[in-house]
Amino acid sequence: MGLRFSQKIWGTGPSLVLVLALIWTVASTSWALDVPPLTGRVVDLGHVLPTEVAASLTRHLESHETKTSNQVAILILPSLEGEPLEEFSHRVATTWKLGQKGTDNGVLLLVSLKDRKVRIEVGYGLEGTLTDLRSAHIIRNEIVPRFRAGDLAGGITAGTQAILGTIEGTYTAEEAPLGLGRSGQEPNAFEYVIMGVVVGTLAGILLSHGLRHARALLGSVLAFLIAQFASVGLGLAAAGVTALLLWLLLQANRGGGRHGGWGDGSTIGPGGGFGGSFGGGFSGGGGSFGGGGASGDW
Amino acid sequence: MSRRMPAFTTVAATILFVWLSGCGYNDLQGLDEDTKAAWSEVVNQYQRRADLIPNLVATVKGYAAHEKDTLESVVQARAQATGIQVTPETLRDPAAFEKFQQAQAGLSSALGRLIAIAENYPNLKADQNFRDLQSQLEGTENRIAVARKRYIEKVAEYNKSVRFFPTNLTAKYLLHMEEKPNFTVADEKAVAKPPEVKF
Repeated sequence: MGLRFSQKIWGTGPSLVLVLALIWTVASTSWALDVPPLTGRVVDLGHVLPTEVAASLTRHLESHETKTSNQVAILILPSLEGEPLEEFSHRVATTWKLGQKGTDNGVLLLVSLKDRKVRIEVGYGLEGTLTDLRSAHIIRNEIVPRFRAGDLAGGITAGTQAILGTIEGTYTAEEAPLGLGRSGQEPNAFEYVIMGVVVGTLAGILLSHGLRHARALLGSVLAFLIAQFASVGLGLAAAGVTALLLWLLLQANRGGGRHGGWGDGSTIGPGGGFGGSFGGGFSGGGGSFGGGGASGDW
Repeated sequence: MSRRMPAFTTVAATILFVWLSGCGYNDLQGLDEDTKAAWSEVVNQYQRRADLIPNLVATVKGYAAHEKDTLESVVQARAQATGIQVTPETLRDPAAFEKFQQAQAGLSSALGRLIAIAENYPNLKADQNFRDLQSQLEGTENRIAVARKRYIEKVAEYNKSVRFFPTNLTAKYLLHMEEKPNFTVADEKAVAKPPEVKF
């Protein structure tokens, strides 16, 4: 967090490092097979599910999420194109960020048609109930026999039901409120207070010195920083209190000659740093995966 | 003169604070913790694998008692791997890291041989208990792969901060941090392929 704040002020050094790191990361992660976009809870790229089956699965998964906050998604691929199943599955699950942030209660059911492979990828938070063994049993007993008989839709439906039945009751919707999906690390209250104090100190000093140029500059800087903190009132309050105290102190020191005030034109912008959109479509809540689950083939 | 002192002190304190975060002090500390956490996960998953082995060996013994050599080599490799104490110092000492690596790789290959001989025993392969253990083993190997990948990423991030300017100055003179050893590509190939399991 310190970095994010300091970069705004002490620009180039660290940000150059960051850019280099970013380039390095991007360059080193060129994949053979791209992660498909998360268009819904059921992503059927192999076109094997009849529309009404896909719709009913989507409804099931949706009502399950409203009830339990668990996010389960299904991906059916035509082929893995030589990619190892486990690696690709983990990549899809982490890219989609299935499950809620904090509880990590996401599950991905991945089927690759040409490779005749299936995998259940389980998020950290569900590894206790949907164990590797339980996942293997679901694949072995529910999915594979139906797939072997040529009933893909039946296998996926039965597998999904078994997954939902297993993870039902692990979490309740209250534990992980929906739409909490923020990207990146959010600073905690303590950090907000610290940053608030720093901002407040700066503001107080500038205000009490009351230079015209400084005020104008301060107005914009404050607006920007306040926008950053706007989501947490604590930080804002800390900044305000510090600035006020400091101003009073300095005014008193000076013998109370000058009047200071909040800079003109400081408008409070929209809070920055919100990642997850939860409008119309379906999006991952920010859960993470540690490679739990099981694979099988038919 | 004295009237200006508080202002001066606050300005100095503020600059110091911002400078401390600008030079990467907090970030280095954070990255250091991250690598430790990632390492704990690696050790955790290796331990999980070691815990599965006694059961697996016992099950295989029931069907293929005369495959003594293979069974014994697994037991031995396990003893060796679990005998290495993993402390945060392991992370700093490349030699100790290498030793840990080798012991785990030895266990991986012994396990690979054990799974391979199971192919010759249809009754063993059909055994419910064996299949379950195999699923768990496969899952654990996969978690190991993921944990290692995370560790590799975290250490790379950490090592970059330790080497890049200006954070390298903080790392070297203020925190006395050094680069941490990472898994190499050679052994990455060995673990990247999880054991094949056919149902």
